[in-house]
Amino acid sequence: MLDTTALESFPSLISHGINVAGEISAPPSFQLPNSNDFDGFVKETIQMVKPAKGTTTLAFIFKEGVMVAADSRASMGGYISSQSVKKIIEINPYMLGTMAGGAADCQFWHRNLGIKCRLHELANKRRISVTGASKLLANILYSYRGMGLSVGTMIAGWDETGPGLYYVDSEGGRLKGNRFSVGSGSPYAYGVLDSGYKYDMSVEEASELARRAIYHATFRDGASGGVASVYYVGPTGWKKLSGDDVGELHYHYNPVTPSTVEQEMVEAAGP
Amino acid sequence: MSIFEYNGSALVAMVGKNCFAIASDRRLGVQLQTIATDFQRISKIHDKLFIGLSGLATDSQTLYQRLVFRHKLYQLREECDMKPETFASLVSSMQYEKRFGPYFCQPVIAGLGDDDKPFICTMDAIGAKELAKDFVVAGTASESLYGACESMFKPDMEAEELFETISQALLSSVDRDCLSGWGGHVYVVTPTEVKERILKGRMD
Repeated sequence: MLDTTALESFPSLISHGINVAGEISAPPSFQLPNSNDFDGFVKETIQMVKPAKGTTTLAFIFKEGVMVAADSRASMGGYISSQSVKKIIEINPYMLGTMAGGAADCQFWHRNLGIKCRLHELANKRRISVTGASKLLANILYSYRGMGLSVGTMIAGWDETGPGLYYVDSEGGRLKGNRFSVGSGSPYAYGVLDSGYKYDMSVEEASELARRAIYHATFRDGASGGVASVYYVGPTGWKKLSGDDVGELHYHYNPVTPSTVEQEMVEAAGP
Repeated sequence: MSIFEYNGSALVAMVGKNCFAIASDRRLGVQLQTIATDFQRISKIHDKLFIGLSGLATDSQTLYQRLVFRHKLYQLREECDMKPETFASLVSSMQYEKRFGPYFCQPVIAGLGDDDKPFICTMDAIGAKELAKDFVVAGTASESLYGACESMFKPDMEAEELFETISQALLSSVDRDCLSGWGGHVYVVTPTEVKERILKGRMD
């Protein structure tokens, strides 16, 4: 059964059943287009809306909490449409979600998840766990499976059991883990992240590892770039640690040393 | 992505006062993955003639090698360097020879002709010449380059100002293209000297 609570833009103003005898309220629906080949039309629409997952996002659990990092480039094929997209979404003060895939899909369903989490808090007088929140999102996305949503997100947060990290995607998958990276730049980020990871890192070491991993992914992957944002989720909630422009980070990690004239002449005489 | 966007490239050439400048990006990629950040796209034919080849990297290397061969033969027979106009016709006819199985390259040719008059031209993959008096562009970032050059170009610029203008046009255009960038390579050629410079750009 589809969860359409978020799709109804306004509630029905007519109260059913009081003065109208025997009328059953129709379930929510939308008009279908007139077309000869409806299946082909649906397939084409899905392809049109389907954006490329050109991005790099990562998150990992360590001793002090959860570290979440992402780039900020949005690309349409070869064209860079923006270098300043917020890919780390603040669901509530102690939970973060990352964006990969369709921007609209991720933003909308993360906000919807935030609403559901708040409702849970009010109904149960306690905060929702990361397990619960990720399950809510996964169930919603599963019900829309095959309809063309494109979401590859990580839900990171701190609850009563400590730090929590889940990967949730629009195919309906939900995985619990300690280290994830999502997007076209994820292979490069995994390389740096996996080789530098230690559980007993301090917050500074972990944030530098996350920043480096995003930087290396933006260097090698054409669809990632812009600003490397790093967020930390601890017992008191999330905090943004840094947002460094990747163009400047390159020269910070690889300073330009001017070569002397003698060196240049030697190189010119080489093979 | 099309075959022209497989490796990614950006090339631009501009005319100044008795000089010209030709610039390229330095990235070699395989679709979205970056393989090298020091790829040479512009090559010297002789002291007053440069050719930049954008598009599929393997075809641009092969086409360049064949052009060097033809130019060396010309030098031996005619005992002088080829004029840029003649060279452009040579490139165009070599590309049209492969009309039904083309080289996937778009050349940008820049040189100083008779009386050191600057000459620039570009071609499509099958040899259609486009001569221009101000600037020519090629590569995956060509649409951004057209916009940047159109707004930044002024006629009759001196060598230093021309260098600044072409560098700004190149860097701002490749910053809007996923497939090109990672630095820049600029040659500014006057009748007396050739200045080669590497640009520091965004490496993302």
